[in-house]
Amino acid sequence: MSWIGKIGRVGRIVEPAPDAPEAAIVPPTGVTGSLQLRHVDCGSCNGCELEITSAFSPVYDAERFGARLVASPRHADALLATGVVTHNMRQPLLNTLKAIPEPRIVIAVGDCAVNGGVFTKGYGVVGTVGDVVPVDVEIPGCPPTPQQIITALRSVTGR
Amino acid sequence: MTTTIDASPAAPALGEGPRAARRSIDGPALSGGLTAILGAIGLALGLSVIFGEPRQLRIGWLLPLVGVRLDLDPLGGVFVAATGAVAIAVGIYAVGYARREHWARFPLVTLPLFVAGMLLVPAAGSVTTFLLAWELMAATSLILVLSEHRRKEVRCAGVFYAVMTQLGFVFILIALVVLSAAGGGDAFTTIEANVDNLTQGPRNAIFLLTVLGFGSKAGLLPLHAWLPKAHPEAPSPVSALMSAAMVNMGIYGIIRIDLQLLAPGPHWWGLTLMIFGAVSAVFGVLQASVATDLKQLLAYSTTENMGLITLALGAATLLTSSGAPTVAAIALTAALLHLLSHAAFKTLGFLAAGSVLAATGLRDLDKLGGLARRMPVTTVMFGIAALGASGLPLGAGFVSEWLLLQSLIHAPHDSITLVALAMPLSVGAVALTTGLGIAAMVKAFGVGFLARPRSAAAEAAREAPKSMLAGMTLAAAACVVFAIAPVLLSPTLQRVLAVLPRVGGDSAGPQIETILRLPGVAGSISPGLLAAALVIAILLALALARWGRRHRPPVAVTPLWASGADSLSPRMQYTATSFAEPLQRVFDDILRPDTNVEVTHFAESQYLVERVSYRTLMADPVEQRFYTPVVQAVTSWAQLVRRAHTGSVHLYLAYGAAGLLIVLLVAR
Repeated sequence: MSWIGKIGRVGRIVEPAPDAPEAAIVPPTGVTGSLQLRHVDCGSCNGCELEITSAFSPVYDAERFGARLVASPRHADALLATGVVTHNMRQPLLNTLKAIPEPRIVIAVGDCAVNGGVFTKGYGVVGTVGDVVPVDVEIPGCPPTPQQIITALRSVTGR
Repeated sequence: MTTTIDASPAAPALGEGPRAARRSIDGPALSGGLTAILGAIGLALGLSVIFGEPRQLRIGWLLPLVGVRLDLDPLGGVFVAATGAVAIAVGIYAVGYARREHWARFPLVTLPLFVAGMLLVPAAGSVTTFLLAWELMAATSLILVLSEHRRKEVRCAGVFYAVMTQLGFVFILIALVVLSAAGGGDAFTTIEANVDNLTQGPRNAIFLLTVLGFGSKAGLLPLHAWLPKAHPEAPSPVSALMSAAMVNMGIYGIIRIDLQLLAPGPHWWGLTLMIFGAVSAVFGVLQASVATDLKQLLAYSTTENMGLITLALGAATLLTSSGAPTVAAIALTAALLHLLSHAAFKTLGFLAAGSVLAATGLRDLDKLGGLARRMPVTTVMFGIAALGASGLPLGAGFVSEWLLLQSLIHAPHDSITLVALAMPLSVGAVALTTGLGIAAMVKAFGVGFLARPRSAAAEAAREAPKSMLAGMTLAAAACVVFAIAPVLLSPTLQRVLAVLPRVGGDSAGPQIETILRLPGVAGSISPGLLAAALVIAILLALALARWGRRHRPPVAVTPLWASGADSLSPRMQYTATSFAEPLQRVFDDILRPDTNVEVTHFAESQYLVERVSYRTLMADPVEQRFYTPVVQAVTSWAQLVRRAHTGSVHLYLAYGAAGLLIVLLVAR
């Protein structure tokens, strides 16, 4: 039973979180510290996906600030969109947004989602995420670092 | 359509009259009505015998030498009543079905005859009468199976059925002849009086022969092969009669000859019955859970349930011979109750499947679906049947399966090693059977009736006509009674147990009241109260939801989530094949499916797939291993014999003369 004592002796070893950023938006659910996200890859090069994965990994652990990735838009409060919107992904993006219960917000991750980035005016590109659906929060960067993503998410979760 | 029901008996049946006369008579109504009336008479007679005095009837002139002898006691009465009840529902149903399917005259005439044959079998009081009634039943059922004889599968099933049923008859014939010779008489009562003088040798022979012969009629392994062939190909009312009433006659034979006349036997009698039953139950339900043909699934489920009943009968025999008559009485009650409830839910199942078949022309579950919207009443009916077949609480099969499990669990295991080994293994078999049975029935109901239609025919389905619905409603009412008020059957079961004293029938059986209590063992349950609790819980939940709705914002209507795609297509749904695929994988060694996956690549790249085709063929492994070699051997022998048949009349005359000579020499 020595492991119980060990837990007590070690205590919390997580680095203290930096101060919470200023709230960017009123949390859609009306409570702080809870934000369920559905991620849609609208045509990304997968750089942003790697950084999002990293942000939710044990190293950065976005979940301790109340943000969670969920499997179905029916469970989500917010849409996490990455990449430029391609022709093939325009309708699925709209469908997914429609499937998220209101009130909902849209977070555009990465330069491509925000302003088209290097793919601007490509032959398969419709436009930025903002051209297709209303965007509430933008996270610039190519790709944005996990810290940037977490900071932006904290400005929504309010924690 | 004219609905004049002509009282003169000859006209529609024989069909000799001119066309105009035939058109004015409503054949389906007459045939179905006659079937239902026969059924009602059977039900009334059966009940009057169960609760009154045994009835006897002698018709001396009808059969040479011995005459026809009908003795109806409570045991026969319960079978007559059950058959009659099934016939009422089927008769009413058949009116609409025969009209919709345009039955020919021949099956219309044969249907009431078949019911009459089945009613006579349990009423027979002598070996000769029994065999006569048995053959009447077998022959008429064969004619009915062949109703749609223009299709090749029907003819194939018909030949299979004819051979198997006659083979079974040979076994029964030998067994009963030995029995009557040893018992010193033709009547069952005479045999019963003299049965104690029988030595063990003939007893064992009779037991084995009757188990094989009656087992083939009840669809027990390995003589079940006719069942999954004949039941799907027969018209649905006939399937219902065969599966709910005719297979019972096999069980009746085993009870009458082995449990009433010959019991108590040695331990291995009970054990043999239990092994036959357990193997049939597990194999039947395995085949049912991978079947994609709705009626074939129900047919395999019949094998499963007959297996369970035989297992219960075997347990009763073994427990009596090992000195535990109280528990044996529970097992016997379980067998009888399951027999009755199986008759109810299987009738309903086949009638509902018949409605689907009549509405869509389909039996393949992979092509059905979406019937809940289009045929709501039929769907509810099939749901009740499926709930009964899956043995869950509030289903018709629950109480009997619970009783069976209780008798197996509470068997005294300190007396004999055999009992101590057999009972836990049987519990395992029953548990596996019930579990897989639920999977099979969920598949049949979920894939067949819910979700969206998978074919144009299913999409165009319309609800069955009124008489078909009425027939199904009667069967459904019986199912509900078995499920929540088995107390109504308690007096019947007690009377029947009383005539089976040799297998524990005279000891105090389970008390089936509002609360089921088992004397001598700790166990009680109340299906009626369970149902009441469920209804109250549902009402409470509804009331709570209604109350909570006031505090919520109005309901938003959004399109169905299809993972980002625009819409779901019926092809994305679970099919019967895909639902059963994991089971098929687990039981690969037993089922031996013939699976074939073909992947066609694009010419440009082997990484791009143009088309994938998946084909799986479920053949009955017992049939392949056991029947095919036998059939091949018989065929090769027949080819040998055929050489003697040259077509020359002179040669045949010479054969005759030679045969006569041999007979004269031998009988010199």
